[in-house]
Amino acid sequence: MASIHLQNIEKRYGGFVGVQNMSLEIADEEFLVLLGPSGCGKTTTMRMIAGLELPTGGKIVIGGEEMTEIDARDRDVAMVFQGYALYPNMSIYENIRFPLRMRGVPASEHDARIRQAADMVELGGFLDRKPGALSGGQRQRAALARAVVRQPQVFLMDEPLSNLDAKLRQSMRVQIKHMQRQLKVTTVYVTHDQIEAMTLADRIVIMNKGAIQQVGTPDQIYSDPANTFVAGFIGSPPMNLIEGTAQNGTFVAPGVTAPCPEYVRGKVTLGVRPEDCHVGGDNVQGMVYGVEPTGDTTYLTVLAGTKKIEVKAAREYRSDIDVPVAIHFDPAHLYFFGEDGQRIRGAA
Amino acid sequence: MRTDAPSVSANGVATATPKPAPRRRSPALRKAFPYLLLAPALVYLLVITLYPGIFAIYQSLFVVKFLNWEWAGLGNYSSILQDREFWAALGNTALIGAISLSLQTGIALAIAYFAYRDPFIRGWRIVYLMPMLFMPSAVAFIWKLAFNDGRVISDLLGRLGLIEGNMDWLGSIPLARMTLIVADVWQWTPFLFIIFVAALQGQDQEIEEAARLDGASWPSIFWNISLPMMRPVIVVAITLRGIDITTMFTNVFVMTQGTPGGATETMSYFIYRQGFRMFNFGYASAASVLMLVLTVIIAQTVVKRAFHSGKK
Amino acid sequence: MAKARKSRGESMLVRYLVLGGWAAVCLLPILWFLSIGFRPRTEVITPQPIYWPTFSLDAWHLLMSDWPIAQYLRNSVIAVAGSVVIDLVLAIPAAYALARYEFKGREDIGFYILSTRMMAPAIVAVPIFFLFKTLGLLDSVWALMLIYAAINLSLVTWIIRSYMLDIPKELEDAARTDGAGDLTILREIIVPACLPGIITAAVIAAIFAINEFLFTLLIASTSNAYTMSVALANFTGGSDGIIYNAIALVSFIAFVPILILVILIQKHLSRGLTMGAVKG
Ligand SMILES: Nc1ncnc2c1ncn2[C@@H]1O[C@H](COP(=O)(O)OP(=O)(O)OP(=O)(O)O)[C@@H](O)[C@H]1O
Ligand SMILES: [Mg+2]
Repeated sequence: MASIHLQNIEKRYGGFVGVQNMSLEIADEEFLVLLGPSGCGKTTTMRMIAGLELPTGGKIVIGGEEMTEIDARDRDVAMVFQGYALYPNMSIYENIRFPLRMRGVPASEHDARIRQAADMVELGGFLDRKPGALSGGQRQRAALARAVVRQPQVFLMDEPLSNLDAKLRQSMRVQIKHMQRQLKVTTVYVTHDQIEAMTLADRIVIMNKGAIQQVGTPDQIYSDPANTFVAGFIGSPPMNLIEGTAQNGTFVAPGVTAPCPEYVRGKVTLGVRPEDCHVGGDNVQGMVYGVEPTGDTTYLTVLAGTKKIEVKAAREYRSDIDVPVAIHFDPAHLYFFGEDGQRIRGAA
Repeated sequence: MRTDAPSVSANGVATATPKPAPRRRSPALRKAFPYLLLAPALVYLLVITLYPGIFAIYQSLFVVKFLNWEWAGLGNYSSILQDREFWAALGNTALIGAISLSLQTGIALAIAYFAYRDPFIRGWRIVYLMPMLFMPSAVAFIWKLAFNDGRVISDLLGRLGLIEGNMDWLGSIPLARMTLIVADVWQWTPFLFIIFVAALQGQDQEIEEAARLDGASWPSIFWNISLPMMRPVIVVAITLRGIDITTMFTNVFVMTQGTPGGATETMSYFIYRQGFRMFNFGYASAASVLMLVLTVIIAQTVVKRAFHSGKK
Repeated sequence: MAKARKSRGESMLVRYLVLGGWAAVCLLPILWFLSIGFRPRTEVITPQPIYWPTFSLDAWHLLMSDWPIAQYLRNSVIAVAGSVVIDLVLAIPAAYALARYEFKGREDIGFYILSTRMMAPAIVAVPIFFLFKTLGLLDSVWALMLIYAAINLSLVTWIIRSYMLDIPKELEDAARTDGAGDLTILREIIVPACLPGIITAAVIAAIFAINEFLFTLLIASTSNAYTMSVALANFTGGSDGIIYNAIALVSFIAFVPILILVILIQKHLSRGLTMGAVKG
């Protein structure tokens, strides 16, 4: 299998920069997820790894060999597409066989390998159907089988689950993770669904506007966000970001006061996750703006000054709107970001 | 690093695929590839259009009498531009074409309007298509027989009490032109109809339904909503049909031969007559060049725009 | 409510008057012409038109004995089928380039190809006549084949291009990562995926080729190369005047296969006739 090194790769479309100066080391057998909002350059990055798009700058090394200008067909990289991209005129069997034929695998091996791959995604009974006669989930699995069958060095998956309904997505997620562990193939997976990213990834790369914002394990990304973009992007509902000023160990914003380290000073942004906010106490003096029971928890929105703060309250919490409410922050889980949006860390 | 030795994965699935030598297609080939794909078709078209174009321009500078080419400079052009028959042919083509095209568009729109919501649309479509599927030469003979040789039209009109006796359809300029128009409208209205109906059927039904709920009647929906929405389609269809009409030849050749007095001679027929009846090849070529210039102008303006708006 | 129903009833009447009326306009001349094909020659041109003729196979016997109708048919089929094959071979790669590659001059080349469709046959008639004369191809089906192919090449290219544009780009990307090269992708993925477009283009090209008149008239001068379309004009020959019942019969012989072909591609017809500009 193979590691992947991206060295300062860049993709420009005329004057527009789709991906800028991106460097990334992906370890052998790693499951790496690219996560970011629409248009941030995830697909472009992946297509450059696949060789479907040539970078306008930088180097791509796969398995120790420089691949920057090698044709996609010679990269030994398998890709699963968002729209599945099954060949409509071929049966599922022929679809799965196509990469074997194209790569000159001896015909005698085809049948066994196709059936093994199909069994792996539980599609054994559908081999002679055309893609048009399969459900979304089955097509998805057929596309996976086609990627798996030739044992590539790298799997690339571009939002492979986004066309499926929530339940199917969950079960396919487990299946993909299981398969990747079993086959030990380095995998790059694109999604804009955080849950998918958190559950699948060994490491997550958060991208925005063509640039990497943070790389880390799901835990790191969640509990140690590098900047306001990551903080505001991860978590649902995401972290509250409150702009205010800090001096002498106290953060102040309209309706909000909170303790802060001495080294946090001037105009800063306080970040606090809804689950680290509790009803009662003295950090926020505000009004109840809305209450949303979801069954297992209740989300409370508090209006402090003009800022809305999300609070994850107890399951049975209920309140009328427009009544005063006080909120307490868990002091161990407060994050501070400077004016540039970057985390302010201790002088360590 | 990968090894080329077959490896067996955890569950014993498959062996690694053999590795082909990496290809790095040269940037030059990558750039040239689409041109290579296009080359055969382009060469073919260039031979069949550019060569005749150049040949026609060259030949138009000569007076050609059989194998004898005599340099004439721009002589052919200056005589053509003073040739009443040439201007008449141009005028006839424009007049007959304009009337015929308007009639076809109007009829096609009207029947498309009534047909597209009709439950029997598939049947209507096949029936309406039929005239278009006859060979144009056959259609010319149908109408030649109906108007002139078989006197059917005169007889039917007579029975309706509209005329008396036999009309000489080739005897008067408007009537002779009319027979050409009737034949063309009969054969080619289906072309526009098929396209209009497809466009109407392809429109978002919800928009019509919303308008109906707003209380609009079918005619006003058609006029105010459907028609504006299918404008690009109409433009493309009329452009294509218009271009074909300007090349009208077969009907003239079979039905009127340009009579009476050249009143039904079209541009195509003029060129044919000069070239292949009177063997004035240089003169015919000069006319061809002039017609080519007109075509290029029309193509560059009308057609280009029509196809751009049609694509969106 | 009552009022609404009434106005709907009226519009139904108008609708069926219009639709039925135009159907009559389309069908009656055809039926009458069919009757011409099956009547004796003496009943074709008469002082008073005969609407209920006696049935006769005169025309058929005439065709079988005096006219090499089988030869005309064969000429038509060879020239038309050959031209369609040439068109497909040239147009498929060209359409692929236009639909899928970014390159300099793509728009202009595409438009140039389209514009060859705009050229009146009469414009190129004289030069083409001399060209084939020089090549010694006058009066041959091969010349007709080449001409028909040229006439339809732009149409076929644009129709196929339009269908290729509808194929998701992902399909090609998938094939590429699966290890296929450009030509393999064209052959194994693109062509099968746009087969309906290819068939539509072929049928429409065949119809235009069968109908072609002017070039055929110029190039074909004997029954060596006469096709159905021009053979018709030949029934005018001689002292007999125009032999309408034979003409009628021949036109129906050509009409039936065309009708069948068109019904087969009905759904794609509007798209084909507008070279892909209108999606049916
Ligand atoms: N061929 C192109 N020409 C110009 N701009 C492009 C092209 N392809 C992509 N882009 C731009 O590059 C940026 C990154 O696109 P990309 O497809 O990588 O986004 P993405 O992160 O995959 O988004 P999504 O989640 O919506 O799929 C976008 O702003 C897009 O508009
Ligand atoms: Mg994307």
